[in-house]
Amino acid sequence: MSEFVNTTPQSSLRRSMLCRVQETLGAQFAEHQGAIVVRHFNSQLDEERAQLKSLAIIDLSTLPRSGFKGREAPQWLTDKGVNIPETPNQAVKQDDGSIVARLSMQEHLILSDLAISASLPAKLEQSWSMQSDVACYSLPRNDSHAWLYLTGSEVRAMLSKVCGIDLRDNEFANLSIAQTSIARINGILIRDDLVINGSDESSSAIPAFHLLCDSSSVAFVWESMCDAMNEFDGKPVGFAALLNEQ
Amino acid sequence: MATTHSTNSQNNRLASGGLLIDRSQTLNFFFANKHFQGFAGDSIASALAASGQWLISRSFKYHRPRGVLTMAGQDANSLVQLPSDPNVLADKTALVQGMNVDGQNYSGSLEKDLGRHIEKVGGFMPVGFYYKAFYKPKGAWEKWAPLIRKKAGLGVLDENFKPGYYDKAYRFYDLVVVGAGPAGMTAAIQAAEQGAKVLLVDENPVLGGSLSYDRIDAQGSNAQALRLAMIADIEAHENIEVKLDALCNGYFADNWLPIIQGARMYKVRAKELIMAVGSLEQQAVFHNNDLPGVMMSSAIARLIRLYGVRPGKRAVVVTGNDHGYAVALEMLDAGIEVAAIAELRDAPIQSDIVQELASRGVAIYNNHAVYAAKASSDKKHLAGVELRKQIGRGKCADSGEFIDCDLLCMAIGYTPTYQLVCQAGGQLSYDDETALFTLQKLPKALQIAGSVNGNWSTDAVCGDGYRSAVLACNRLAQDNDHISAIAEPAPLADDSAASPNYSWPIFPHPKGKEFVDFDEDLQIADIVNATRDGYEHIQLVKRYSTCGMGPSQGRHSALATARIVAEATGRSVAQTGVTTARPPFAPERLGHLAGRSFYPERFTSMHQRHLDAGAQMMQAGAWYRPAYYGTTNQRDACINAEVDNVRNNVGLVDVSTLGGIEIRGPDAAELMNRIYTFGFLKQPIGRARYALMTNEAGVVIDDGVSCRFHDQLFYVTATTGGVDRVYQSMLKWNAQWCLDVDIANVTSAWCAVNIAGPKAREVLQKVCSDVDLSSEAFPYMGVREGHVGGVEARLIRVGFVGELGFEIHVPQHCGEALWDALIEAGVEQGIKPFGIEAQRVLRLEKGHIIIGQDTDAMSTPQEVQMGWAVSTKKPFFVGQRVIKELNSLGQLRALVGFVVDDLNAPIPLESHLIIEDDQMTGRITSCNYSPTLGKPVGMAYVQLHKAEAGSEIAIRSTGGVMVNAKVVALPFYDPQTQRQAL
Amino acid sequence: MKQINCPLNGLRNISEFIYGGEYHPMPDPQKCDTREWVEHVFFHDNIAGEVCEWWCHSATSYWFMARRNTITDEIIETFPASKIFNKRVEFIADAGES
Repeated sequence: MSEFVNTTPQSSLRRSMLCRVQETLGAQFAEHQGAIVVRHFNSQLDEERAQLKSLAIIDLSTLPRSGFKGREAPQWLTDKGVNIPETPNQAVKQDDGSIVARLSMQEHLILSDLAISASLPAKLEQSWSMQSDVACYSLPRNDSHAWLYLTGSEVRAMLSKVCGIDLRDNEFANLSIAQTSIARINGILIRDDLVINGSDESSSAIPAFHLLCDSSSVAFVWESMCDAMNEFDGKPVGFAALLNEQ
Repeated sequence: MATTHSTNSQNNRLASGGLLIDRSQTLNFFFANKHFQGFAGDSIASALAASGQWLISRSFKYHRPRGVLTMAGQDANSLVQLPSDPNVLADKTALVQGMNVDGQNYSGSLEKDLGRHIEKVGGFMPVGFYYKAFYKPKGAWEKWAPLIRKKAGLGVLDENFKPGYYDKAYRFYDLVVVGAGPAGMTAAIQAAEQGAKVLLVDENPVLGGSLSYDRIDAQGSNAQALRLAMIADIEAHENIEVKLDALCNGYFADNWLPIIQGARMYKVRAKELIMAVGSLEQQAVFHNNDLPGVMMSSAIARLIRLYGVRPGKRAVVVTGNDHGYAVALEMLDAGIEVAAIAELRDAPIQSDIVQELASRGVAIYNNHAVYAAKASSDKKHLAGVELRKQIGRGKCADSGEFIDCDLLCMAIGYTPTYQLVCQAGGQLSYDDETALFTLQKLPKALQIAGSVNGNWSTDAVCGDGYRSAVLACNRLAQDNDHISAIAEPAPLADDSAASPNYSWPIFPHPKGKEFVDFDEDLQIADIVNATRDGYEHIQLVKRYSTCGMGPSQGRHSALATARIVAEATGRSVAQTGVTTARPPFAPERLGHLAGRSFYPERFTSMHQRHLDAGAQMMQAGAWYRPAYYGTTNQRDACINAEVDNVRNNVGLVDVSTLGGIEIRGPDAAELMNRIYTFGFLKQPIGRARYALMTNEAGVVIDDGVSCRFHDQLFYVTATTGGVDRVYQSMLKWNAQWCLDVDIANVTSAWCAVNIAGPKAREVLQKVCSDVDLSSEAFPYMGVREGHVGGVEARLIRVGFVGELGFEIHVPQHCGEALWDALIEAGVEQGIKPFGIEAQRVLRLEKGHIIIGQDTDAMSTPQEVQMGWAVSTKKPFFVGQRVIKELNSLGQLRALVGFVVDDLNAPIPLESHLIIEDDQMTGRITSCNYSPTLGKPVGMAYVQLHKAEAGSEIAIRSTGGVMVNAKVVALPFYDPQTQRQAL
Repeated sequence: MKQINCPLNGLRNISEFIYGGEYHPMPDPQKCDTREWVEHVFFHDNIAGEVCEWWCHSATSYWFMARRNTITDEIIETFPASKIFNKRVEFIADAGES
């Protein structure tokens, strides 16, 4: 597990568009592998971990991600050793923990592993060039979208208030993707259950969804989610509790 | 409030019984300023009935006393007023401790309504009264309307009402069963057995439907036993979710159901749907049939079984079916004297129930009708009924027998609860044999079961529920592994012989007051007269007479109306039909419809900096943008100062909301060339070009700047409001053209500022070291990539505001850092942020148009002086052919610049008209005071003979003041374009 | 609410889609006469019966086509636009232009 160094959002050129609202909620910011994240809202780690299991929202907007699109994008990614899903609206978790989400036959979204140790999005971006003749084009996913992670046993009930997709367990399997309207904002919903390691070496999965939405709308989406979460006592949680579960 | 203390001791409460009430919890409440008591679980109406308060409301038109009719929310009789809630159904609304209930639609008091005398002039208020009486003379309606409106209407709005928290939620099920009566419960249990995930919905607080109050055997115990057994099965089944007190209030395409429960509306999608919605009991139509004390048989059963309330002391039953006898037994068992049964048929069909009743010594008058009811001396309750022998359809003998009673039980038949089914496309027809409405032509994935499907015996009803569940599950099993198919049961035996409907329970009276629709006080003659006035179609009868237009939407009047109209017009009931049933089924709150209101908001990454600088924010679509910086009372001064600072120093504006689209691939230039009007094939790398877009009709729809960063990479901006449409239109065109190109909307990936003014370069070069900013190296309309304040950036030399300017585009999440770097670097030069308002003035001074403001749905490039931006040398672009055709026809108008020299004249505003010889000949599209020129300047569409510089135009400005203006060549400012090329 | 089966995203509420108008093959802008072109741009067939239409799933900006019966509002079939458009469209300049 990596170290956190407490800091402020202003210490970086890249800032989450939620950092003001997070400040008002008592966020402690920290640097984690070059990204400024909310370390915690509540300094009691156990309470934040418990919150993850019931209902929590975590801002991952400063974590790396990238996208590749084009006629030859699937082949290009495969050539780079990326394991891509066979059909659109499916995601595959790579061995290093990164997620590759296929949004259409030609478009892929790459999400960093939470520890930011694999750096797959950045590696792929670095190996891509506009100069090559391959019909594969990099997309500015770090900035086009904000990245939220919603976890907990009540997450489906909460999402059913803002999203008209059938997310029931048997209808929407783990690593399924829905590109849809969420609180009237277009978004990408990826189911990625959170595996909790128990003290007795058992592990259990709790339902969890990544939500990627237009970055300029994220404050609105955050507010809509918090409103929908109130009923279940859902709360924002820091990155430390999440990383602790990995 | 002043209250009259009264005992109101629940003296009508039976010693035992009452499925819904909890006798251990007494609730105190007020009705019409009097104190009452009830029990938890009571409805307002049942609690009032328990204390003998039968008068609940006054009728809409004649202010007649009204009381309990259906006990099921199917009539307007029980509408009452709560402090913040008008038109509440007293028979459906749960009693709450301390509730303050009032009657509605009376003057003075409910008991002595001053408006009751209106009935005496009722003869002068025939059907269509308003249309006829106030149509002439002209202006009569305007005079009378306020008085009538004051008289009309029901409850009173609470103007201090505070909206509550309402929301919505989506739900998905294999099967939804609407109605938890015996058919619905059977269906739910069977479907769950086959593996389906089932939602069972009912508007009542308990499961059971009619089993919770009906008597289905002579002893009166079987219904409850059956109900409890089914509930046990349902509760034990994990596949069944139950929603009670939940109203399915409509049907929408593809089994989409709004289900309202508490403060939430569930939007439910059902793969299969079974409507087991039951049927609605109808009233007999006879003189004074609306008196309190005259009730549906089902209302009496509900009062006794659900609430343990005795509905009267001495009853008469008028019946055409078994149910009348069953309820008569219920009444006898509750200690109510049953004085007589008026059997409309020649004789009852013998059954255990009928025999049991006969054995108890109740007098049965075969082939008898209730000809008239008589009111008590205070006119507020039933005192007796006159039974007469029927001598023909709807005809009675000249005299009969008068029987004292305070309760009349009407059991003459039902209509299926057709509303939701008809909304789904089901069609209603009428069977003359059974005198029943039937439902047919159901859409796929929807079935009806139970009494709504014409089944009446408990066996038939349950069998129908079972059969529909098997059919639904067998269909589902084809695509759903978790659902199993079983052998299809045989079709049910015909149950129509058990029809509870008597064909003609309608008995006209010389004095009228035989009410068909209680909501609107409509009598037989009103319906007949509507047809005689020429309104023969059932839809016209409804609109002319208002029949079925009241709060209960014809639920207790549809059958009688159809029968009366059919007879009056010589058609069959099937031909006559009923009026269209539209959602909602029952009234619903605006809060339920609104739910959480999601109005998306978009913020740029510099938003906080605008707030910090004191910006007044304005919304442009979903975006928040700074209008100007400063206080609202200094608005104009702030805007003018911002303009001055750009013209003389340097200003910074947030242009992040501009759209951005990246076009990449071997065919990138070809796509640009087809989408935009200019030529782009030969656009050099490192250069920007103005990009104008027209639609197929040749109308200007968007513009932007095309930047070529690479042979195969164009970054083109689009207007804030237009980018999504532009992007989708590009994709749609390329879906047809199949060019080898990728199109990406990167609007939110980039934020941008425009640093503009003579000192812009001076400021920018302090924070940008890797781009040579000199005019020679980086000329006007050049594009470069580099870093600003340490952030990777795309720089575009633009001139929208008419000064030396650089648009700096950086990754969205770095916007705040960019803003800070530039503001800090520009302190010495006096950099100031400027807002959208100043930008509008600046661009107007420079003669730049804004698409959508200076263009309309007819604007061609030629008209807006953009002919230069249209290539004539390429084989195709969208809109090209129409533009060519239009140009060959000759131009009709032109967008020109104008100045107003009279500084005292009211400044013209957008859309003010240009007048010539009393004719409208043009309009203003933009106009502002120009601080740079010291006078108002603007743009307007004018006819061609006024387009020459120097032409005089007359504008009809604010307050109708005519303002003279002079057409001038554009731009107003810096015509040689030296400033932006600095 | 009606549902549309999007070839990319599956069955979705119709509120997720944008109607893109009737499909109408484009005449050759170089060869057709004025009337033919004007009718292509401004006239709509508005058939009572089966039509072929453009639809766009707005969250993915995915364009596809649907066959729909305008009398019953039944969507008979949806399919990718590539089923109709599968080769590059060229526009060749007139002899007089370069």
